This record gives sequence, structure tokens and C-alpha cells, in this order.
Amino acid sequence: MTFLLLDRIVSLEAGSRIVALRRIPSDEHYFADHFPGFPVVPGVLLTEMMGQTAAKCLMADASVRGKPMLARIQDATFRRWVRPLQDVEMRAHISSLQPRFANAECEAHVDGELVASARLMFAFAPADQFEPNPRDTVLERFLAEQAA
Amino acid sequence: MKEQEALHWIAKVFEDAPERITSATARKDIAGWDSMGTLILLAELDEKFNIHISEEQIEAMQSVSDVLGILRTNGALEAS
Repeated sequence: MTFLLLDRIVSLEAGSRIVALRRIPSDEHYFADHFPGFPVVPGVLLTEMMGQTAAKCLMADASVRGKPMLARIQDATFRRWVRPLQDVEMRAHISSLQPRFANAECEAHVDGELVASARLMFAFAPADQFEPNPRDTVLERFLAEQAA
Repeated sequence: MKEQEALHWIAKVFEDAPERITSATARKDIAGWDSMGTLILLAELDEKFNIHISEEQIEAMQSVSDVLGILRTNGALEAS
């Protein structure tokens, strides 16, 4: 398992809203323990998937200075089990974007039904603390498709 | 909002006991008022009151009284 938990971006309005998809691989190692005979995606990973989705929306906004880092999770709710090979659609709406932080209302859906939701806050960490110009293949692919 | 309600709100923002927070409490005496606490305060001011403050105002906040002043200036706190 890598820690890139998005397959592709479906739609994106930079700094405002985004929809992204993830098909849950059946061979994720955590399924052996979570749970034996009844594999389900852990809620923390659904939260991370929503967080990565919202972060891509922020990183696509040229006005954002720094890297969005998850700083607070509020009102996280997990309504349905998410199983291997299911397609999860993450939706995020940036409800507030300020110089130091951003808030995002996030949802995850499977087959059109809400499976998880959370309000996430991001702090912007100085970009010079990170590797310069890291590749973001998911965002790059979406932008290339849009440009084509 | 009355001042007592505001003090309770500030205590909740910094995850502190309401009885420890008065208008005279200094930032240095509130354990939760670190850099992350400041971000949460900014986010709560935004979400709850639609108040946005400048970097200069952020840096100038050194006490609960300063936070009350921002609330008062923006019409979120009744004049005392």
C-alpha cells in the first residue's frame, strides 16, 4: 500500500470544490486484521482519503502559500462499511480559505450513498520545509486531461 | 453575546477550564494557546462569527482581553 489514496480527480474548481475517486484494492494488507473474514476500510483511512482530496483542491489554488497539512478533524461520521473493490467518490467543499488555514466539508460516497463525512481543517506549512517540486501525479494527470 | 459567554467560548477554543479564563488571563498562562491554538481561534472566529483578522492583529493578541476586544469591535460582544 502506498499512501496516495486517490486514483483520479473527476472535477476540480481550485480552492473551492473537488470530486475524486478511489477503487479500494482487494489486497490491502490491513484487511487481514481489519477484520478477519469481514474486511472493511478503517475510518481513519476514509478520513485520510477525504483529506487528500481536499488538499489537492487547495494545492491547485495558486493563492495558497505552503502545503496544506491536516490540523483538525471535526464531526467525523462513518455511516456504512466500505469493502474491498468498492469505488469511493470523495467530495470536498472548501468552506473557508484564509492565509493561515482552510476548512473543508468532506463526504465519501459509495454507489451514491453517503458512507462517511467530516469537517477538516488544514494549516499551511511553509513549502521550504518539504522536498522541492514534488510530483503530484494525480493532480498533474487531471490538469493534463483538462488542457487536452 | 455577553462577556461571560465569550469567556466560556474562549475556554472551549483553547480546551481550558472555564474557571481559569478571565479577561485578564494572559496568553502565556493558557497552555492551549500555542501556534495550533491560534489557528483554531482564527478558524472559530471565522466559522462562528465570520470575523477575519489581519496578521498584525494576530501577532498583537497577547491576552483574553485582546480576543474580547476583537469580538467587541466586530459586533459579536455586547459593550460592557
